Amino acid sequence: MDAESAPQFEQKSNACIEEGVTSLVVDLGALTYISSMGLRSFISVAKTLQDKGGALRICRLTGLVKQVFEITGLISTFPIYESVESALIGG
Amino acid sequence: MTMAAKAASLKAILEFVRKGAMEASLPESRIGELELVIEEIVMNACNHAYPDDAGVVTITYSVPTPGELSVEVADQGVEFNPLTAEPPDLTLDLGRRPIGGLGILLMKTLATSLTYRRECGWNRLTLGISAGS
Repeated sequence: MDAESAPQFEQKSNACIEEGVTSLVVDLGALTYISSMGLRSFISVAKTLQDKGGALRICRLTGLVKQVFEITGLISTFPIYESVESALIGG
Repeated sequence: MTMAAKAASLKAILEFVRKGAMEASLPESRIGELELVIEEIVMNACNHAYPDDAGVVTITYSVPTPGELSVEVADQGVEFNPLTAEPPDLTLDLGRRPIGGLGILLMKTLATSLTYRRECGWNRLTLGISAGS
């Protein structure tokens, strides 16, 4: 998820939000790379969802992606879950 | 190599730097971190060096010793030293968190060394990355 692909995530998420979705679960189990442009998209979408009373729930962080969330403190900012199932049930 | 300073150039730049990483025998986990730092440096140059006009970035690398790679990213844009930027406040909750500002933190944390110099109209950021840390 880099400078080229992050805007696609943001566009698709915003399309869901425009259709009335207020919470999204993002499964990052297969994601091996994320830069600050990807983080920027997550923060932007999460803020929009929070304003609508919902949340961006992130699950299955591994490897470099988990490391990036730890370095930036976002591991404490977002609701993070170990599995898709727990994210769907969660908060 | 010299490329247009835009996101579409990233893929070719990362492929070029990956060659250097292979020559330096960096482990795969470290190559992922290297690519992340390079993306942050190049996107910084795109966004800050040339805010209005199109420009180019020049990337060179060397292998000072086995297990160590040095990469320089240079541009001729507006003078900008990312290493002097204010660090972000990581304790803010989501509502008060700015959307951006994390790239410089990532490059500083993951690089083994980072140095900036302004030289004859060029911004030159040199990244050192070693196998071990």
